[in-house]
Amino acid sequence: MEEPSLEVIGVTKSFPTAQGRLPVLDGIDMSQARGEVVSIVGASGSGKTTFLRLVAGLEEPDSGALKLDGREIDGPTPERSLIFQQFGLMPWLSVLENVLFGLATSGLPKDEQRDRANDVIGRVGLQGFEDFHPKALSGGMQQRVGIARALAVEPRLLLCDEPFASVDAMTRQTMQTDLLHIVTQQKVTVLLVTHDIEEALFLGDRVIVFSSRPARVIEEVEVAIPKPREHSVRVSTGFQEQRAMLWELLQATA
Amino acid sequence: MGTPPGDRLETSEPARLRAFARSPGTLSLLILVAILAGWEAGGRTGVLDTFFFSTPSAISVKAWEMLIDGNLLFHTLRTGYAYVAGVVAAIAFGATVGLAMGWWRRFGDVVDPYVVFFSAMPRIALFPVIILIFGIGDLSRTIIVFLGVVFPVLFNAYIGAKQTPRLLIDVGRVFGYSHNRLFTAVVLPAALPYLIAGFRIGVTLGIIMIVVAEFLAASAGLGQQIAVTAQSYQIAEMWAWVLYTSCYALLIVRGMDYFERWTMRWA
Repeated sequence: MEEPSLEVIGVTKSFPTAQGRLPVLDGIDMSQARGEVVSIVGASGSGKTTFLRLVAGLEEPDSGALKLDGREIDGPTPERSLIFQQFGLMPWLSVLENVLFGLATSGLPKDEQRDRANDVIGRVGLQGFEDFHPKALSGGMQQRVGIARALAVEPRLLLCDEPFASVDAMTRQTMQTDLLHIVTQQKVTVLLVTHDIEEALFLGDRVIVFSSRPARVIEEVEVAIPKPREHSVRVSTGFQEQRAMLWELLQATA
Repeated sequence: MGTPPGDRLETSEPARLRAFARSPGTLSLLILVAILAGWEAGGRTGVLDTFFFSTPSAISVKAWEMLIDGNLLFHTLRTGYAYVAGVVAAIAFGATVGLAMGWWRRFGDVVDPYVVFFSAMPRIALFPVIILIFGIGDLSRTIIVFLGVVFPVLFNAYIGAKQTPRLLIDVGRVFGYSHNRLFTAVVLPAALPYLIAGFRIGVTLGIIMIVVAEFLAASAGLGQQIAVTAQSYQIAEMWAWVLYTSCYALLIVRGMDYFERWTMRWA
């Protein structure tokens, strides 16, 4: 087994409410190898997004440890870039400027930042839209900008928080295929959080199932479909069987 | 056989005329002409008392005289100087403090009660005190304009900075932006629409403040001229000053419109 890239040991997290502390994560253990795509599925409100925010460094755990490549996670950094469910584009910046926004702290020379931004804009299929503002783009195209921004910094770990939940169903499948191609090609390590079982299976090498709140890991499943995968694997028997199995699991925990 | 192109051009002429006649701009202008004509006719027939209302023709004559003899320029400059100085100072100060209050929460919480108190206060009530301290020169008027403009600007900047979407701040943090850099890269542009709305309220309020201040105490200026001509029953002159003042106000408000559209090109 390869050296783990992400290591999570006994992480707990709760939030203060008027009725006392609300436990959200109840001792999460997991690890992830470099180049691996891990999907976390769980019911809405199960704490998956909170978990991802901890990995991003946007929140701190109450107890437990999170490490990336052996180093304790301490605050956010572009080496753990994030694709946000609600895109999170700056409405006053153009497509190109939004991608450059992510590169601004990279310390790279300006022209190199620009080259990288243009390159990644091309890879997500947005060439010709560099000067558009987010408002002029569809939801799917806006999320392509979000993906480009997160990829441009060449993160050690790419975090995806329900990346296609705000995109219409047709566009979602196309974008899942596109994202899978890009991360497979570039061997990006990806941690994806989703409530969409099909998305978790289609993109993941491994699927981790969270219980409903407070979240614990109740199952880990290797996805039995070899990569590269095309859209057509969604209808394969193996895919459908794993999908049914995960569905049962989630039903049982709800 | 089709219609020859020439025919079509001819038939489109009246259509174009109709469209012109129906355009909102043309209608607005027609209404203005009707009001002026009614005013003039009313004055001449004695329906309107010219002692109070004068007539558009008499007002135009006075307005023209002021323009030619330099009176208009003189008083415009006196008012304009105090106004511009007050507005610029208020925007600079109000925007800075308001944004700082929104971004550095502790600072905001401490200063908040003072802002609420002063923004609720009818600031023109302070004018006699200001006159007492600073005399009836330009400085007093600049200060009164400043006080009128600063609070709407400050308040809007404060709210604008405070309501910056959490999501956008998180995006900045994920991409390694420091607290200070988040302010310039995210909070400031996100607050811009609020800031501009504050400027708009501020510049309009500033006009009221300076005109009223000049009624109360001034040696020159547009408001002072309105007060002086009214008190000496030079009604046509008074109306001319009122109209000039209104035109300046209109120019300022329209200027704000263009400024707003220019800064919000992306929206």
